[in-house]
Amino acid sequence: MRILCPIKQVPETSSVKMDEATGTMIREGVEAIVNPLDLYAVEAALRLRESQGGEVVALSMGPPAAMTALREVIAMGCDSAVLLSNRAFAGSDTWATGRALSAAIRKLGHFDLILCGERATDGDTGQVGPGIAAFLDLPVATYVGGIDEVDAKHIRVRRLVEDGHEVLDVELPAVLTVVKEIGEARLPTLRGKRRARAAEIPIWGPDEVSAPREEVGLNASPTRVVKIFKPKVARACRKVVAKDESAVQAAVGELVAFLKSKEVI
Amino acid sequence: MPYKPVTLKIVDELRRIVGEAFVIFGDADKLEAYSHDEVAEKEYAHLPECVVRPESAQEICAIMKLANRERVPVTPRGAGSGLSGGAVPLFGGIVIAFDRMNRILDVDRANMMVVVEPGVVTNEINERVREFGLFYAGYPMSLETCYVGGNVAENAGGGKAVKYGVTARYVTGLEVVTPTGDLLPLGGKLMKDVTGYDLIHLMVGSEGTLGIFTKITLKLMPLPKANVDLLCLFRTPDEAISAVPRMMTRGGVIPTAIEFMDRTSAAASCRYLNESLPYGDAGAMLLVTVDGADAGVVEREYDAIGEQALASGAIEVYVADNRTTSERIWKVRRNCAEAFKVISPHQSIEDVVVPIAAIPKMVAGLEALSRKYDCPIPCYGHAGDGNLHATPVMNPAWSLDRWHETLPKLLGELYELTASLGGTISGEHGIGHKRKKYMPIVCDPVYMNMMRALKKALDPRGILNPGKIFETNGNDQ
Amino acid sequence: MLTTDKSSHRGVWILGEQSKGRVQRITHELLRRGRELADKRRTDLTAVIFGHAIDESDLREVIERGADRVIAMEAPGLAEFLVEPYSACMLRLLAERKPEIVIAGATSLGRTLMPYVAVKANAGLTADCTVLDIEGDTGNLLQTRPAIGGNILATIKTPSHRPQMATVRPRSMRPAERTAGRKGEIIRLVAPAESLASRIKRVAFQSNEEKHALQDADIVVTAGRGIKKGENVKVVEALAKELEAALGASRDVVDRGWLSYPHQVGLSGKTVTPKLYVAVGVSGSIQHLAGMQTSEIIVAINTDPDAQIFNVADFGIVGSLFDVVPALVKALREGKANDQ
Repeated sequence: MRILCPIKQVPETSSVKMDEATGTMIREGVEAIVNPLDLYAVEAALRLRESQGGEVVALSMGPPAAMTALREVIAMGCDSAVLLSNRAFAGSDTWATGRALSAAIRKLGHFDLILCGERATDGDTGQVGPGIAAFLDLPVATYVGGIDEVDAKHIRVRRLVEDGHEVLDVELPAVLTVVKEIGEARLPTLRGKRRARAAEIPIWGPDEVSAPREEVGLNASPTRVVKIFKPKVARACRKVVAKDESAVQAAVGELVAFLKSKEVI
Repeated sequence: MPYKPVTLKIVDELRRIVGEAFVIFGDADKLEAYSHDEVAEKEYAHLPECVVRPESAQEICAIMKLANRERVPVTPRGAGSGLSGGAVPLFGGIVIAFDRMNRILDVDRANMMVVVEPGVVTNEINERVREFGLFYAGYPMSLETCYVGGNVAENAGGGKAVKYGVTARYVTGLEVVTPTGDLLPLGGKLMKDVTGYDLIHLMVGSEGTLGIFTKITLKLMPLPKANVDLLCLFRTPDEAISAVPRMMTRGGVIPTAIEFMDRTSAAASCRYLNESLPYGDAGAMLLVTVDGADAGVVEREYDAIGEQALASGAIEVYVADNRTTSERIWKVRRNCAEAFKVISPHQSIEDVVVPIAAIPKMVAGLEALSRKYDCPIPCYGHAGDGNLHATPVMNPAWSLDRWHETLPKLLGELYELTASLGGTISGEHGIGHKRKKYMPIVCDPVYMNMMRALKKALDPRGILNPGKIFETNGNDQ
Repeated sequence: MLTTDKSSHRGVWILGEQSKGRVQRITHELLRRGRELADKRRTDLTAVIFGHAIDESDLREVIERGADRVIAMEAPGLAEFLVEPYSACMLRLLAERKPEIVIAGATSLGRTLMPYVAVKANAGLTADCTVLDIEGDTGNLLQTRPAIGGNILATIKTPSHRPQMATVRPRSMRPAERTAGRKGEIIRLVAPAESLASRIKRVAFQSNEEKHALQDADIVVTAGRGIKKGENVKVVEALAKELEAALGASRDVVDRGWLSYPHQVGLSGKTVTPKLYVAVGVSGSIQHLAGMQTSEIIVAINTDPDAQIFNVADFGIVGSLFDVVPALVKALREGKANDQ
């Protein structure tokens, strides 16, 4: 079984600080990690390789520093990796990202399965996985929380939805986006780290994946960020004291009005 | 009774000192929260008569003058995360809570020092100074909740002591209120100071029996730029522990931490946190941290230590080199104590410490004790500094009576073993009142008498945290 | 650059959802969003729903809640969401009718179908928008969404591609009000057979036993030690039920065995970021705050005016939960009755 995992390097969000004046992220001192949700996809891929044989290829698009993320998943057990990195890719939105990744996947040859994380913790869109499927004209099952059966032609998965889970039979090749329930990701090993340090990871630009310049990067992105700003986080607590019955009634009335004004009830 | 009760008149005076809103009196529900620390067993709890929540050293001076005059016992209390009953008001009286004295007063970048009030949560210091490329090296397992004042009072150790030492190493200045109500400034921001007796380090670790801290000056370190954790799996606790002296000495590197968890401890904590670590069928694991200023150097160092682990028979060595994964592993280690408490309230978290070369003997001895008494003794702790938190847990088949009968015998034997290996009964949790009766096993009578003499000199009426470390005979005051 | 002729696109669409032929609440929430945008843009609002044998009165209700037109595209193969037939049908409708804006819920359906369709339609798509607006001079859709773990908000637009597509979080808005007798057009279309091919088969469905998983819940009501006794969980439970909320617990409550571990919110439990978090009898230890302080709106009920929880709350009631909570449940119930 040949499996591809597209992964993304993201800032470790819990340590992100914002520049109050400019509203931009302070990158200084913020760790870059493999998108934690992509690790579940890598884990699922490695388990499938263990049971079915084959290989797992990791692919990422990002700055040259994203090489570290690819080495991390090689240390976990991926067989090889490719980095898409070129100024021409800069400013890609999810459409253009899907376009570039799918071009690279075509160049890498046939895959039985493309396993993606549900979304990246920085962009938080969850659009690239289904987007890749659309570009490659493959079926996609999202929110996959379990794999029940797999053979050369089909995979049976559990897709977690709002009120339960569906059992889907998916024809291969296909794209799956997976969630935490698929299984906790393994850690890289010391031996894996050594292998990852020695691994050769090619860097591809638009030419290598035969993507015309006007179809990648900012140029090819339908969406534009107009403005970035900091959400208001200050909480001014409206505190009402309710010591006796009438005060309780008044306080509750005020609370209900407050919740209505916030449109939560 | 030698001590006076907290009368309404005293309460009124306390209210005048700290303000009406900051005195808790007569509300059993609220007082209950101040009657215990994190020691699981109920028998170590005792209700205070009154709780005051001052916000300045001056207020505390006034409280102590009043208490000294009236002869009312006073117990200072941090976050209540202690593990020896140190903050329990054994004789009732007044508890001083520090939740309002929680300001970081000064981050002095030029001197790499920070001045804090005792009610600051330890982790907050690091959150504040991180942006300046600095860090405070204290790393008690409860750092997300404990107060730094408590850390100083107990001379807390924790997870990074192998490389960075314990709390005392970082305390260069203290402001102390004496038991008689005087304000005593000690030290400052000096790296050296031999002007007279080293009273700072008499105060550090005195478990709130000699003075009350109102201001603490701590030395900071440059924040390590690279930090890598190794999770080393071993077949048995014995194999894991036996690897420790080798990893400490043969890799040519002093790691920041070497933590030990046996399978039972790791599994309990994982269950408690709903986390999973890939320990497979390993019987024990070591968590090794290496940090430093340069990623390349750290990489070579963890490689060398990991190699020693493999050479000592580790089944697998996992590498966590980002904060998310590190935190995942450390969280499991930090929550071991918490996890056991949920499993059974009938247990005793021990804190023995032995020279590092004696750890394998200690672990073998623990296994023998566990068999002899038919009592589970899961074990985790700071293997790199010889400090093990062996935790006898009541055999579920036992009656409570049998447990209460067996535990002191088991502990007595455990402490004798520790002493025979050149160790002692508490490495970092303190004696409090939980371990005071075992002091003679490891303490010379001359030492005990000297401590009593010191206590009497500084606290002539015996009102500050009485009954801790050694018995207080109220009548002899 | 692959742009579209903007002038040929008009109208606002929302993508409704149905289950077993019944129109779902998210549809009504989207109608409120869609109506506002259509009015600002001075155009009409169309609701598109894929399914099979969709209830006629439900479709009429969609009109009564603000749509000018409902397009129900139906076939047995559309009864359940499958990405290929749904996207083929949607692409066909988009090509024929050329809407300017398409809004869907950020549900498991919307978050799968929309990116698939957007790629094939060469359209811009913005996920999980919290605010949607129309830019004055250009008429472009302004889409505001949180990013980087909620640390920032970004406003995004699609200057030259049509349609402009966006998803919005469920429960980020109330359902649109219903105006009885409001007129509009109901169009039922039979999905063309060639659009129904699917390489995915849905072979079974298992519904959740516990209806509201804590972390996915839009509203969380948490019981703290202030409830004093295990049996008092029911006081808090009643409020959770009334708000259709998931039930959370502080560590104390779980330690005492009053609620089970899956309910625990906090550092050693779950981290939740619901739209509304109601802390009942929770003092607000650092442990607990770490697991809930990024909730959108926080309400606290506690007897202690100095309780930490008030420091992170938007609205606090200082009083006994045993008085306040039953009164609140009653008020909410009466409020609902009045809305009907």
